[in-house]
Amino acid sequence: MRRRPGIGGLQTAAAARDQYRLVGENVAKIRTDMMKEQLATFRTQLEEFARKHKNDIRKNPAFRSQFHEMCAKVGVDPLASNKGFWAELLGIGDFYYELGVQIVEICLATRPHNGGLINLQELCILLRQRKSDREAVSEDDCLRAISKLKVLGSGFEVISVGKKKLVRSVPTELNKDHNEILELAQAQGFVTVEEVERRFSWTSGRAIDALDTLLDEGLAMIDDGHRDGKRRYWFPCVSSNSTPVADT
Amino acid sequence: MQKLGDFKLPHFFNYPPYFTLQPVRDTREKQVQLWKDLILDYCRTQKIFVIGLEEDFALFSNPVIERSLSHEAREAFLSALVSEGRAEWLDKGHRKCLILWHRVQDWADIIFRFVKDNGLEDSVMTVEEIRSGIESRGTELHVIDRTILMRALRVLEQKGKLAIFKGTSADDEGVKFSM
Repeated sequence: MRRRPGIGGLQTAAAARDQYRLVGENVAKIRTDMMKEQLATFRTQLEEFARKHKNDIRKNPAFRSQFHEMCAKVGVDPLASNKGFWAELLGIGDFYYELGVQIVEICLATRPHNGGLINLQELCILLRQRKSDREAVSEDDCLRAISKLKVLGSGFEVISVGKKKLVRSVPTELNKDHNEILELAQAQGFVTVEEVERRFSWTSGRAIDALDTLLDEGLAMIDDGHRDGKRRYWFPCVSSNSTPVADT
Repeated sequence: MQKLGDFKLPHFFNYPPYFTLQPVRDTREKQVQLWKDLILDYCRTQKIFVIGLEEDFALFSNPVIERSLSHEAREAFLSALVSEGRAEWLDKGHRKCLILWHRVQDWADIIFRFVKDNGLEDSVMTVEEIRSGIESRGTELHVIDRTILMRALRVLEQKGKLAIFKGTSADDEGVKFSM
């Protein structure tokens, strides 16, 4: 049918547009409502889940880590506030705050020995020794607690050196050279100037300079006692304190 | 863990750099502290009173990691003890060192208690008897170093708690308690 010209036609067209819009809005509203409903259900489910597995979350580090992962996926941070529902329900905030305090204490206590750089594994071992109760602590827990310490702005940081993770509690800036030396030291617990020069093709000045800095920062210790007469630089932060170090 | 007899050695004893004097001050302070504690602990449990710097001393070397302390390091650690009143050089050349895991005053207190516990308040004993008599067996005074014992006795003598006098044999002295 041929469209009729005139004011009536325009009015009809406008009315139709209005109708379409209305329907569209309705559909959108229904969708949002459904989403909201779903989210609410999901939240209840998650709460239900958390409530049901409260003990598992508290006691089992692997379970706890998976729970965190699940929360992260749906954008919930149980640690965001200590006042929130999650903290109240799980007491999980307190768990990490306490852990954080203990980590700070251990870092301070071992600082004279390691210069403020501690192997994450060793930190965990020391934490477990302190916790007389059955609460197990995993590396994942430590990392979470340390990330919360960043709020304090006092330079608690986790750095990766090779395969190992080190926790830094002093404001020392380690540059690339230092990191490379630490990585090299992981093999035996120590390095020599020669070894550093050869491995990285550095000039001897560059190697000595970097080693001297590490020494001054208390991160390295010298050892002149080996029978080959070569000075060894040991790094307490990469060689574990809890096992006897075998010399090669 | 490594042991010396029944003595449990600390972890740092197996970490080679602790056998080299550290050049950085903070690190060195920590190192000296650890060694001081170890020396005192070891001497107390093993009843060692005198350390000779040039002699073999179990703590001065660790065959497991093939490290031993230089003369300089030995002297540094013992000097640190001397400056705290926990040791005394026996000669000017710093070759022999008397270890006081109890200070002389504390030894005097131990003798005082020993005398009280054994009802010896008005008795006479020889110095040798105090060291190796039946009464001192099982106490800390048993086989105590003679130099330390004499010092502690002099402390008590100054307080009028006893009098030291020459015995019949030239090499032994007598003690008259009056507590």
